[in-house]
Amino acid sequence: MVGQTKPARPIPAEALYDAVKAAGVTDIVAVPDTHVRSLIKLMRERDEMRFIQTATEDEAITLAAGLVVGGRRPLVQIQHAGLFACVNHLRGVAIEGQFPMLFMIGLLNRDPEKAPRDNFDSMVRHTEPLLDVFDVPYYLLDGPEDVGQIEVAMQQALDRNGPVAVLIGDQTA
Amino acid sequence: MPDTKRMPLDGALEVLHRRRDDQVVVSTMTTILPWRSKDVTERDLRCVGFMGGASTFGLGVALAKPDVPVWVLDGDGSLAMQLGSMLTIANAAPRRFLHIVFHNGVYDTSGSQPVLAEGKMSFTGLAEGAGYAKAVRFDDVESFDAALDELMDVDGPVLVELMTEPLRKDYVRPTPAQERLPGALAQDWPTVAESLAKA
Repeated sequence: MVGQTKPARPIPAEALYDAVKAAGVTDIVAVPDTHVRSLIKLMRERDEMRFIQTATEDEAITLAAGLVVGGRRPLVQIQHAGLFACVNHLRGVAIEGQFPMLFMIGLLNRDPEKAPRDNFDSMVRHTEPLLDVFDVPYYLLDGPEDVGQIEVAMQQALDRNGPVAVLIGDQTA
Repeated sequence: MPDTKRMPLDGALEVLHRRRDDQVVVSTMTTILPWRSKDVTERDLRCVGFMGGASTFGLGVALAKPDVPVWVLDGDGSLAMQLGSMLTIANAAPRRFLHIVFHNGVYDTSGSQPVLAEGKMSFTGLAEGAGYAKAVRFDDVESFDAALDELMDVDGPVLVELMTEPLRKDYVRPTPAQERLPGALAQDWPTVAESLAKA
């Protein structure tokens, strides 16, 4: 293993769901994603948090910002490729607009034996450096024991009035 | 640009200004400054620097506060950058949502380059195809003025396509500070949030 001490393991969708709910999330704004599809299935089935699907990640960010204006607490759920696609909205809306916004980003195709930065897949490898460029704090969730970081990340987003991300290291169970 | 009947932007904005009440108004690009010269309340939001985002930004407000009417003052070039947002809006089906597209056929701020497929495409047609509740096109101030009250009562989302004159003949490019409006959104939204929280 390079750059990490233990391999990433799948987080059960139920555990992630409960952690998102515990963070006070009211709305899930999401673009379809293979990596966390079991979580998306749960979110769509239950009505405790409103599930809103968008066509693009740009829209997910602006829609989430509008929800914040209306007093809601959204989660933006996207994939790493989607993060690359919405960089200008991340900058212009979430950061420059000073919106507290929690992102959940799936690292599809990540080799669980390696740290994301050491992965062969460029989408995985460049995710953390991209967030670093924009000074977006992030937490890597590499197993069920890490789900408590979601609440920490949400609080940080609220405190800094800006985006904070949680990265889902392995495909959800 | 094909020979299309068009209304002055100022006349169209004046029609909206006369109906302004408690609506949240999201403006973007070339409508921002002329709209603000007419009407600024604690419920105005300006979108600069992320073309195409105004409509889903307004959608978020509308979904958070379904009883508050939302007007989005969108541009043709802006909407063209995020056409998928029309599906997102139609799918979410906000009830009190007026998506007003100022269709002047050009990118005014960048040198009047033509909007793609100008003369062939229609935002009304796109909205109908996407599944908006209603979509109407106007090319003169009088007919827009006569129809607006009724459109404001329609369960949305409603798209209004206004064929407006390009600004290029008398368009004065704003100074960089005005055009860039740095921090406009960060400046606006807490005030709007506070107003909505009281509602």
